[in-house]
Formats: sequence, C-alpha cells, structure tokens
Amino acid sequence: MIEKNFEGVSVRWVIALKGEAEEIIKNYGMKRVATTPFPVYKNKDFDMWLILSGIGQLNAVAATTYLHVKSDASYNTIWINFGIGGSRNFKVGELIQIDKITSSDFQDNYYPSPSAFKNNNIERCNLITVNKPEKIFENDGVYDMEGYGFFSFAKKIAPYELISVLKIISDIPGTDLSKIDKHRVEILVSKQIQFIEKVLENLLALQKILFLQLRDPKYFDEICLQNKFTFSQKVTLRKYLTQWQARFPLRNPLDEIRQKMTASQILKKFSDNLLR
Amino acid sequence: MVDTIYVEDEIIGTKKAQEIISKFRHAKVTSIKRFGEVFNPSNQNFRIQKTNPSLILAKKQKGFVLDAPKGFGIGDQNNYYFSHMYNCLYDCSYCFLQGMYNSANYLVFVNFHDYQNEIEKTIKRHKEKKMTFFTGYDCDSLAMEPITNFINDFIPFFSRYKKALFEIRTKSINNTVFRKHDPLTNCIVAYSLMPEALAQILDKKAPSVSARIKNIKYLANKGWRIGLRFDPLIYCNNWKDQYSELFANIFKEIKEENIHSVSFGSLRFPKSFFNKLLQYYPNSEELSFLRSNDKGIISYDQSIENEMNEYCRSELMKYSDARKFFSCG
Repeated sequence: MIEKNFEGVSVRWVIALKGEAEEIIKNYGMKRVATTPFPVYKNKDFDMWLILSGIGQLNAVAATTYLHVKSDASYNTIWINFGIGGSRNFKVGELIQIDKITSSDFQDNYYPSPSAFKNNNIERCNLITVNKPEKIFENDGVYDMEGYGFFSFAKKIAPYELISVLKIISDIPGTDLSKIDKHRVEILVSKQIQFIEKVLENLLALQKILFLQLRDPKYFDEICLQNKFTFSQKVTLRKYLTQWQARFPLRNPLDEIRQKMTASQILKKFSDNLLR
Repeated sequence: MVDTIYVEDEIIGTKKAQEIISKFRHAKVTSIKRFGEVFNPSNQNFRIQKTNPSLILAKKQKGFVLDAPKGFGIGDQNNYYFSHMYNCLYDCSYCFLQGMYNSANYLVFVNFHDYQNEIEKTIKRHKEKKMTFFTGYDCDSLAMEPITNFINDFIPFFSRYKKALFEIRTKSINNTVFRKHDPLTNCIVAYSLMPEALAQILDKKAPSVSARIKNIKYLANKGWRIGLRFDPLIYCNNWKDQYSELFANIFKEIKEENIHSVSFGSLRFPKSFFNKLLQYYPNSEELSFLRSNDKGIISYDQSIENEMNEYCRSELMKYSDARKFFSCG
C-alpha cells in the first residue's frame, strides 16, 4: 500500500499502450489529465502519474521527457517502464524484472540497480530493445521496443535505485502476434498486478531512504526566508544546521539569531558554537 | 550475502573468477564489458547499495602499484600502495570510500598476477632502498579473504622479497590465512583501532575492538608482526579517558616487542567527500566537530588536532618506544 501521508511519494509510469496500462490506471485510481501530445493520467491524492508513450524507443524517450517536465518530477522520483515483451526463455504471462538493457542500435548497456529487486522473488532477466516486433528470438532474454530508450533518459533524471523496467511475457516463438489484442494484454497484466504492487512497494521503501537523505535540515527554509544568503552561503548553512541538529538536538538555532544580523554573521555564530 | 555478480567478459573464464563465482551458488551472474558500466554511473546512491551490495569481478588494466601520499609511511624510504579491491564488507560511518565512489558494490580485480609482476619490477628498480607496500586502504583485504584468497596468494609472493615490507591494514578477526602460513618477518598485520564505545557507534558490521585485541594477541603469539593504527582519531566529549583506556587495554594484552609500528592521525576528508557523508549521517555527533580549512580539507580545528596528537603520543609513550610512532597525516 502507498503511504499517502508520506510527503516524499512520487511515482511515474511510462507505458506504451492503453491495454498495458489499463490495470495500473485502475489499480492506482488515476484519471486522465491530458490527451496530447501524449495521454497522461494522474492520481488526485498523491503524486503518481502515468503516460502512454506509444510504441518505440523515440516515443519512449519523448514521453519520459514530456512527463518529467509536465509533472514537475523531482530527482527523488520513481520511474517505471512497464509493458509486454517476447522471449524464448519464459512462459506467456510471466512477470520479469530487467537487470540489463541492451539495444540493437547502441553500444552502451545499462544495468538497473539490484536494490530494486530485493526479496521479491520475481524472475530477473536481460532486455533487448529492438525497432520492430521480434519473431525469431535469436538470443536469450526479453525483447521489447521501449526499455532502452526509456532507461537512457530516466537515468539522467533519477537515481538508478528508483528506476525499474518490468515486462510481462506476451509472446514466445510461434505466437501469432495478430492475436495479442488489448483484452488479452489486460488479462495478462491483471494476473500479475499483486507482484507489480510488490515491486512498487520496494521502490517506495528505497525512495523514503533517499528522501530523508536529501531533505533540508530543520529551520533551513525559515532562516533563508529571514535573511539573504548567497548560493554558497546556503550550502554552508545547510551543513551547519545539519551539524547543529546532531550536536545540540535540544537547542533551537533560531534562538542564536538576533535581529539585524547579516548572513555572514549568522554563519559565524553557528560556526563558533560548533567548534567544540 | 551477494545475490548479483557482474563479471567482465574478458575474465569470466579465468580460474580466479570462476573460483569466486563458485562461492555464491545462488547469485545471478550478469556479463558486462567493463566494470565502469556498473561501478561508475554517477546517479547511484552509495547508502542504498550498501544494504545489498553486488560483486563486480574485473581486470585491472593499469595503475597496479601507486605511490603512497607524501609523508605517509612507517619508516621506509619508498612507500607504495596497491588495491586489488574497492569497497569494504564493513560499514564504518567515517569511511572515505562512501565519499569517493558512486557505488558501494564490491569491485574485485582478479588479475593478481599482474599486480605481482608490477610489484616485482618496483622492488627490482629500487633494489638499494627500503620500501613498504600497503594494502587494505580501498577495502579490508582480510575481511574479504574467504572470497578472494588475496592474502593467501600474496604471503608466498612477499616471502621472496624480504627487504620489502607488506602491510595488511584490517579490522577483521579472520585469522585462518595466518594459521596456514609461517609468520613472515616482512609482513605487518596492521589493526585499525578506536575506543570501544566509539567503535560500537561508528564501526558498523566490524568486529568489536575487544575481539580485535584478542586476535592481535593470538597473531602476535604466533609470531606475526603487528601494527597499531589509531587512524582516525575521533574527537568526542570524553576522548582523553576513552583513548587512555584503549591504550591500556591493548598493552595489557600485547607485548611491546611484538609491535612493529604505531601510527595515528585525526579525522579528515576532502570537502566533496564530507558533504556526501553529512547527507548520509545527518545525526552523527562525531561529524559535527569537523570544519573546512582554507586548503579545502575538512578536519578538526587545528587546536583540537594538535591536542589529540600530543595527548595520544604521550599516552602511548607510557607503553611503547616513540621511535615506532608514525603520523598518518
């Protein structure tokens, strides 16, 4: 379950087609908030968004970029690419979490963080992103058409530990691709929704750790509002207030600040107090 | 312990890589081209990775033996260090590794033979000079010995070069490898130590200080030469009492003649490392005493540093010959 009161919750889904997204949209109570250039959905109670990217790597990159800006996603946001894929190694309907991503077009490989996989017992495998639907499955792994493009951008805007690529196997050698319709995909997803929730729960736990690391120390905003600090002075202030909290947990740093003190005088006051 | 192993394609077939992989039967093995693909990306979080580190097996390409920082040493003219591994089994709050690397994954370079070739060349190049080779600064070699067999490979190697000192820096109490080999006169087993109460807070996952002292005693009795490393010295409210008690406890158990060298130096970091550390440990009182100096180094105030160094030196002189003392700064 999502801890709705925790202010750090922030989740973004990038999914190619409506059939793949339908169960997620329903499960997390999201409503459509935009139609063009990409359909976008959002939960009204907490910061969870979903975008339908369309098929292919270019669409995946464009949609991820668009959602990043449109939803004002912070650095500490969970990004999940979810969708169907084909493989010769798994059965239809299996949920796979991706631990290595390669592309038929590019040399660089990407490695989603194993921290996101911890203790969920979901199969792990490599992903091969291709430009047209795969029928031959020459190599081991899962084939898709978006994962590489998605990850190549997501890794620039979020920590590796919060990015996940999840695929459900929809086709194996011999599958008639014309028979994979929206309804069939929805059924495949609905059968795995509890495991998808589990992956998200793990990511949310990691997000909480990161949120606590990244947040400003107590009284930082208040002090910055009262006085004019330069960027580097803010860096120093953040450091001193963090140290202050550890050293003098019962002393309010605001009590040290007298009226008409300049930013430098405030920093000096904290520094002197913290010296010994 | 390790559930994911990344292995460079180039070394996956080597005996050492296979030997290590075979110790983790349930781990998922993923092939990589170069270790940097996994180890270097900047948007990784060290603290989260530390909760579930992966193992990376790679081949070191260059920089096998490096000059130790100026002023660093335990008495010899030439000082070098080498790192067959980055990152550590333990999780010490003040460890510079978490500020230095983007990744907490254990990175092991398996081509030990290339290190030995380079060390051999270095020894031959400076035949007339005394030299020390330090290991265990980017990892705790002894703690990872059951996985890497690094020390088991390097003790026989250094037994051929008696003029070169080999220092193994550690907090581990694993003594299996030292039971397997005869004591080597040019090998120093150097223990990092701090007062027990501080270690309980700061040296997470590492053996207790009393267990380390017990192990030092065991190794010393076996004939191994011991180094005592009080590095970093940690400033706190009753530091004088704590350090006095620590020194007394050590020398109650260990004969001075077994001690090869004693070194100490106070806590310090490059600025960029420290900012990361403060983010990771916002509630650490121990980090709250540190300040930035004009050289971009974060350290205690000079007066604190001097007081700590002088006090510890004078306390240690009660038990040991000052000629064995060296500075880590």
